[in-house]
Amino acid sequence: MDKKNTSPIYWPWLPAAFALAGIIVFIFATFGPPASSSGFVSLIKGAVQTVAPGYVENNPHYATMPDTGSWLFAFVLGMAIGGFAAGRTGRIQVRDIPEIWEKRFGNSRIKRFAATFAGGFIILFASRLAGGCTLGLFISGSTQLAVSGLYFGVLIFAVAMVTAHLVYGNTGKEE
Amino acid sequence: MGSEIWLGLLSGIAFGFVIQRVGASNADKMARAHLMMESDIPKFMLMAVILSAVGLLGLEAAGVANTRVLPTSLVATGVAGILFGIGWGFCGYCPGTTWAAVGEGRLDAVFALIGGLAGAAFFAHLHEFFIPLLYDPFNVGQITLADWTGSRPAAVVLLVFIFGLCIGAIHFLWKGKNGGQTP
Repeated sequence: MDKKNTSPIYWPWLPAAFALAGIIVFIFATFGPPASSSGFVSLIKGAVQTVAPGYVENNPHYATMPDTGSWLFAFVLGMAIGGFAAGRTGRIQVRDIPEIWEKRFGNSRIKRFAATFAGGFIILFASRLAGGCTLGLFISGSTQLAVSGLYFGVLIFAVAMVTAHLVYGNTGKEE
Repeated sequence: MGSEIWLGLLSGIAFGFVIQRVGASNADKMARAHLMMESDIPKFMLMAVILSAVGLLGLEAAGVANTRVLPTSLVATGVAGILFGIGWGFCGYCPGTTWAAVGEGRLDAVFALIGGLAGAAFFAHLHEFFIPLLYDPFNVGQITLADWTGSRPAAVVLLVFIFGLCIGAIHFLWKGKNGGQTP
């Protein structure tokens, strides 16, 4: 690689963990356990409500979840704004296709976008089945000492590692 | 709009900012973490949990904590964990990081977000089919580590010890220790 001078500058993990934990504790004090997969449900509920209010009213999943006028939706919207602000003020290179993916599967945007669509579909389906995601179940759950969060956490890390090895093989290791 | 909207927005902005800066919204960095080539993100996540658990204990002592423990369903949580792991290992995004990555301007994350909306809508449509089939019969309740240790502070000590061991193991077993910056 000839990109020596444009190496991304990331925050070191330890101070960043203190910063994130401060935010999480603030959320526990002012709202409750933070969650992000619920924000997806709130967005769809808000959108579908406007065209098919009857469907939303009779669906037990939407009944348990607030619509777009909620903390849960404001939180995920805020995450996009925070990502935007951090991206505009930092030096981390933004790519539409990750480097390692391009090395393994080439630079077809259609292929990568189809893969992330499928990946997004699976992770949100799974999150709703479990009742939470990396944040709403693993991080929030483990912080509350919940066995559900720890159990989910062990599985997602182990299976993601196996999957990544199957998907990428030895790509990237030659560097 | 109530204050809860503004609190949510503010919390989200701070959260999105930090996870972008540590590299969690970068699917390349996430894939390298899963491939044991780069250790920052998993160490960051586990350390954030350790510190949050200690902080939450403080909130509980002060009487200002709002908690909601999700029940453990051996089958639903298990099947979901496996499916989630496949999706996460495959595309490198999780639900929260997708939003930050979209804000950052990553086009592939936009498709992960649209796919996620479709996946959530699909589940919501079949909620009445899946919950009684996979969730309810195997629900063992809102169990926590404190049910096993007898007290919450003791359970926090146990959690800190276990997660601390994991961080140590990741630090020594994963190869990259230089923040993933190509030398």
